[in-house]
Amino acid sequence: MSTMSLEPVRGRTDEMIVNMGPQHPATHGVLRVVLGLEGERITRAVPHIGYLHRNHEKIEEARSYPQVIAYTDRMDYVSGTQNELPFVLAVEDMLGIEVPDRAKKIRTMFFELYRLASHLVWMGTAMLDLGAISPFLYTFWDREIILGIVEKTAGARMLPNYYTFGGVRRDVHPDFFKDTADFLDHMERRMVDYEHLVLESPVVHARTIGVGVLSKERAIARGVSGPVLRASGVAYDVRKAFPYDAYPDVEFEIPTSPDGDTYARFWVRFQEMYQSIRILRQLVELTPKTGPHKGKAPARIKPPAGERYRAVENSRGELGVLVVSDGTDKPYRVKHRGAAFSNLQIVPDLFVGAKFSDSIAILSSLDPVFGEIDR
Amino acid sequence: MSLLQEVWQAVKAIGTGMATVHKRVYEDAPTEFYPYVKPDLPPVSVQSLALVENEDGSERCIVCLQCERACPAQVITIERHRNPEGKGFLIDRFDIDLVNCMYCAACVEACPVSSIVTIQDFEMSTYDLQTLKADIDFLHEQARRARQWYSPKFGVELRTEDGRIEKAPPEMQPGGLAELLKPAEEVDS
Ligand code: SF4
Ligand code: SF4
Repeated sequence: MSTMSLEPVRGRTDEMIVNMGPQHPATHGVLRVVLGLEGERITRAVPHIGYLHRNHEKIEEARSYPQVIAYTDRMDYVSGTQNELPFVLAVEDMLGIEVPDRAKKIRTMFFELYRLASHLVWMGTAMLDLGAISPFLYTFWDREIILGIVEKTAGARMLPNYYTFGGVRRDVHPDFFKDTADFLDHMERRMVDYEHLVLESPVVHARTIGVGVLSKERAIARGVSGPVLRASGVAYDVRKAFPYDAYPDVEFEIPTSPDGDTYARFWVRFQEMYQSIRILRQLVELTPKTGPHKGKAPARIKPPAGERYRAVENSRGELGVLVVSDGTDKPYRVKHRGAAFSNLQIVPDLFVGAKFSDSIAILSSLDPVFGEIDR
Repeated sequence: MSLLQEVWQAVKAIGTGMATVHKRVYEDAPTEFYPYVKPDLPPVSVQSLALVENEDGSERCIVCLQCERACPAQVITIERHRNPEGKGFLIDRFDIDLVNCMYCAACVEACPVSSIVTIQDFEMSTYDLQTLKADIDFLHEQARRARQWYSPKFGVELRTEDGRIEKAPPEMQPGGLAELLKPAEEVDS
């Protein structure tokens, strides 16, 4: 099979070649998959990406270090500040910048708020793909509250440009902790509803259980990470394996499921939302209400020549960045390891053999975000 | 699963769904009916940029080019010449391409005199993108129309009815006033 396009096989008349996307509403953006269909079954699948390519990595080579942070935001636009963290951590490591404890905790709180926001968007759109409209409206309602909390402090809702070297740009709004605690109460009530509407729904069971099974070996071989990997039974989480920021201070578990099917991926994301709520509850208590939000950082960021890889566990998996410095105020190279990009690699594996309508459910369980995949 | 069980499952699922929907009908939505109700944005919200003048109409900007250097999207263009009488510089040109600006507020962060500020005027829709290539008059006009604006150095400032500029009371200030009273600790490398 050619990697670029699907050629019809000579003499085979029972296979139909169908182009899904890039404008298909269920491809979560601009994914295009060329499918070979034999009746309802998918026989071949070739994904095409790049419709949202914006040349991030090259632009970042031409920007100074503080300017790059604003660009990293634009990758995974659903999970805001999570994108900034690997770059900020890598540069802090290179320069040896100390981050105050309170700043670390604030960063972690924003990180987990955005994980909730991102999983809510996933839940809404995944259910939309399965044909349910009201969960979409409810999840965006709850996400609206998270974005409101973020906007009050950071000044923007989706692309806040909030983290900076040595901490965060400005102190949190005086209401931040109270707002977050209120939101968590609200969210806990809502999770009961979501369990009813999503996890316990017989329609969801019928559409997802046993569909798109990803074995443990295959998941590791393809380099997937995040909820997709954990749903295949591998308990790998960067937050535990290579702790960063305030994660060593809080208690949480890594939910895993041995099944590896679409339902397992739904279930793992649900459990992660409970863990996020748990982490946030602890951090609301632990974070000092006043104190420094930013450590001492040089006015001109010029890391010594060298390179550094740092990864974080964002909503989709391991989001890493390799920063190569040549000693000037602009990075020599910035390479992003996209979590959604790596997770998309299993699309041909999972699609082949599945029914066409199941491919939509499988794709939504991978939760791709094309800002980050195409970069 | 027998047919009876399946029917029961379906009925139960529809019942649960309906009950959840019913619960939500009576809750207040967090959204506004936008054109009729204007959203109450927090004062730090970055919606547009403006260039503030002093109360007497003189320029606050000292044309230090810090904002131009800080801008990641490189959409600020400033030209200046030396002031023939007295110190400092005078502005020849101060353009911000608000079409390509990504509202990251890095310029506001960099300005030493809080001349360039963020405002909450988000209604910038236009038929002609060229009108958003803001020149200095446009940016001044934005500031004159704004009732409040924010910059990290001075915090939230208000324009009173008679055109004076006042610092907003502490309860309106974001992120703790302590941050504003104490300039950011920075060491030179
Ligand atoms: S908000 Fe950001 S992109 Fe826009 S002019 Fe200021 S620094 Fe440039
Ligand atoms: S940083 Fe402020 S003072 Fe300096 S040129 Fe820009 S607007 Fe003017």
